[in-house]
Amino acid sequence: MDRLFAHHLFCLLAVILFLFSCTSSDRLEGYIYYRLNTNPTTLDPALIVDVSSASIAAKLFNGLVRLNDRFEVSPDIAKRWEISRNGLRYKFFLKKGVRFSNGREVKAQDFKYSFERILELKTKSPNTWVFDKVEGAKEFQKGQAKEVKGFKVADDYTFEIKLRMPFSPFLSMLTMTPAYVIPKEEAEKWGNDFASHPSGTGPFTLKNWLTNRELVLEKNEDYFDKKARVRGIVYKIIPEDLTTITEFELGNIDVISLPGSAYSKFKNNKKWNKYIMSLKGLNTYYLGMNLSRPPFNNLNLRKAVFYAIDREKILETFYEGRGRLAAGPVPDLLRKWDVKAGVNYNPEISKEIIRREGLSGVKVNMYVTADQDVIDLAEIIQAYISEVGINVNIKQLEWSAYKDAVNKGEPDMFWLSWWADYPDPENFLFPLFHSSNIGPAGNRTRYINKEVDTLIERGQNSINENDRNNFYKMAEELIIQDMPWMPFWHRTDFLIKQPWIKDYKVYPIYTMDKGIEVAIER
Amino acid sequence: MIKYILKRLILLIPLLFGITLFAFFLLNALPGDPVLGLVGERANPDVIEGIRKEIGMDKGFIRQYIGYLKLLSHGDFGRSYYTNREVLTDIAMKFPNTMRLAFASMFIAVPSGIVLGFISAYKRGRFIDRFINMVSIASLSIPVFWSAIIIMLFLSLKLKLFPPSGTGDIRFLALPAFVLSIPAMATLSRVTRTAVLDILKMPYINTARAKGLPLIKISFVHVLKNAIIPIITIIGLDFGSYLNGAVVTETIFGWDGIGRFTMDGIIKRDYPVIMGCIIFGTVVFVFVNLITDIIYHYLDPRIRLHEKSE
Repeated sequence: MDRLFAHHLFCLLAVILFLFSCTSSDRLEGYIYYRLNTNPTTLDPALIVDVSSASIAAKLFNGLVRLNDRFEVSPDIAKRWEISRNGLRYKFFLKKGVRFSNGREVKAQDFKYSFERILELKTKSPNTWVFDKVEGAKEFQKGQAKEVKGFKVADDYTFEIKLRMPFSPFLSMLTMTPAYVIPKEEAEKWGNDFASHPSGTGPFTLKNWLTNRELVLEKNEDYFDKKARVRGIVYKIIPEDLTTITEFELGNIDVISLPGSAYSKFKNNKKWNKYIMSLKGLNTYYLGMNLSRPPFNNLNLRKAVFYAIDREKILETFYEGRGRLAAGPVPDLLRKWDVKAGVNYNPEISKEIIRREGLSGVKVNMYVTADQDVIDLAEIIQAYISEVGINVNIKQLEWSAYKDAVNKGEPDMFWLSWWADYPDPENFLFPLFHSSNIGPAGNRTRYINKEVDTLIERGQNSINENDRNNFYKMAEELIIQDMPWMPFWHRTDFLIKQPWIKDYKVYPIYTMDKGIEVAIER
Repeated sequence: MIKYILKRLILLIPLLFGITLFAFFLLNALPGDPVLGLVGERANPDVIEGIRKEIGMDKGFIRQYIGYLKLLSHGDFGRSYYTNREVLTDIAMKFPNTMRLAFASMFIAVPSGIVLGFISAYKRGRFIDRFINMVSIASLSIPVFWSAIIIMLFLSLKLKLFPPSGTGDIRFLALPAFVLSIPAMATLSRVTRTAVLDILKMPYINTARAKGLPLIKISFVHVLKNAIIPIITIIGLDFGSYLNGAVVTETIFGWDGIGRFTMDGIIKRDYPVIMGCIIFGTVVFVFVNLITDIIYHYLDPRIRLHEKSE
């Protein structure tokens, strides 16, 4: 009877499986499939701050200029530009015949509208800092002027920007998402909902957006530049890494970023390892120390921490070599100067410093996010530091609570990273180390060095590239000496693609990928 | 009956008041600032202040809470801080998916759980009983995320029978529904077994047997009818919690339901979404409990609804 029952049960399960199963592919023909781990928050260029949204926006919109493969600023909607000798005036000559997805041609006035919209307080754009050095921007924000004096429409195809003072990274900042052009009539028609009804000039248009499910882009046949080679892009929103890997292995997703946990699996697989691509990221991961109070206001203790941790070993073992050892805060790909070798691992020197300073047994609080990889790393750092006589108490916090605590200067030590928005060393030096940016603006170690401030400012205001690099080099060297944070590594990301995906390029800055080169050949 | 239903619905008002107050207080007491998550790294302080003002975070706790109640009184759950979409619209869009998942998993769990419970009780002490018990205990002990991953790897990746993720037709529904049904099936099987064993000891069952009634008739007419109350209770509780969203299952299988929506809201500290989901969840639970009570009443007339309400 029992055996009969088991047999019946097995047959029933088999029938159910047969009836329900059917994995015919639901793929749209000619579309490339990517994965997003979270729903993009908005597609309004004025409001975008997250990478998912920005990488999609790059395919829907264009700006005056964009970055080429060598990180150089190259033409986009502007066919060329002139910068005045004093570095204050930028004159852009626009291409004719560039059209928004609603069919209207882009004119200089559209740039004026789009940029003023960013600065307008009612837009509540978190990206006002991109344009706050434009002449008249402050007056406009305060409501003292109806328009921004520094944005000038010379004629339909000539747009001028005048800055208050020379600011060398400005042109590369115009490659960022907030500098994309949008049509006034669409923005005003949709109001807040423009975020989900984006209308731009990009190589793709938004076809469908099912929140938390998928987002579909369709090729824009009227695109003014080189047209996309795929019919469209589908972004599948899948939160779980393991689910994503399963989808990839089944061929339902074409390119995925390899999570750390799956790196070895694919690397050691002959079938797959030839399809792994690496991407040297423009980022720096660091251990920050709070300089505003004891114990890390003591340079010698900071030095002791540097001597106590074997970054190289952590990078090679725990991080499986997925990065480059950082010499300073500026990523190697952006640094056009040499820096002296930093402090190397030597726990004996570290112990000696701590003994000499009478700091043995000092207790410090290290804050980390509740991310398992970060927690594991924090425990390794804790073990190293404890060995030289510093007691580390690890405190895990949820991301926004963590960010709030670090902004307020609550931790003694914290683990963070900084990623480039635009390819300029200034993007790493000014927000992170200038004394005007203490707290939420980026300088979370509360580092104050007037000399560094002056050097960064001189670099920002310098028109000559050599001079600029020289100022940045001096600033970085001083920062390395002062040790407000211990730079660990610049992360290298790994992606894997399907065999039928051709000419897929990986870019270190999300705005660089317009999705036009990639093709499907099967 | 109508009077009872109305009473229960009226009771929902103070319940919602208490729950919103408690949830609102907890969210306010948490460390961290949701606005910082919205604005990225280099936002202008005036903009941050503007956003705080717009979402009412510049006001004190009491004023914020009263403002929220006012909004609720107009049937408005507010807008998501991130997407600026109406929370109620999103809930209304995601609830049907969650409902499909809940119904599908109950469709699997209820008949199989009850049948297994019956078999287990009738074959008490024999191999099949021990086997069902063992499987039930294992099913209750194994975390859902683990069983979900194993089932996905086996049925999707190895056998290529079902798509591993997505929201859609029955192919997409099968795996999450099956995973979700496992613990419910196990609980139901154990509860049914215990209830059936209790009933089988009753003298009227012996009488029925002595009268020569067939086993199937005894099972349906006498046993199931009398064992149904604890079974209905378990079904009600499980169904209520599934309708509130099975967070882990929905996240792993990328199912676009209330559970994932709530989880997203919590991770992003999107207060209107969190509050909306809490209120919605409360209403769902109250309704499911109400329906369960009504079913009790019809199945066992000794249970008088007006007494329960007093």
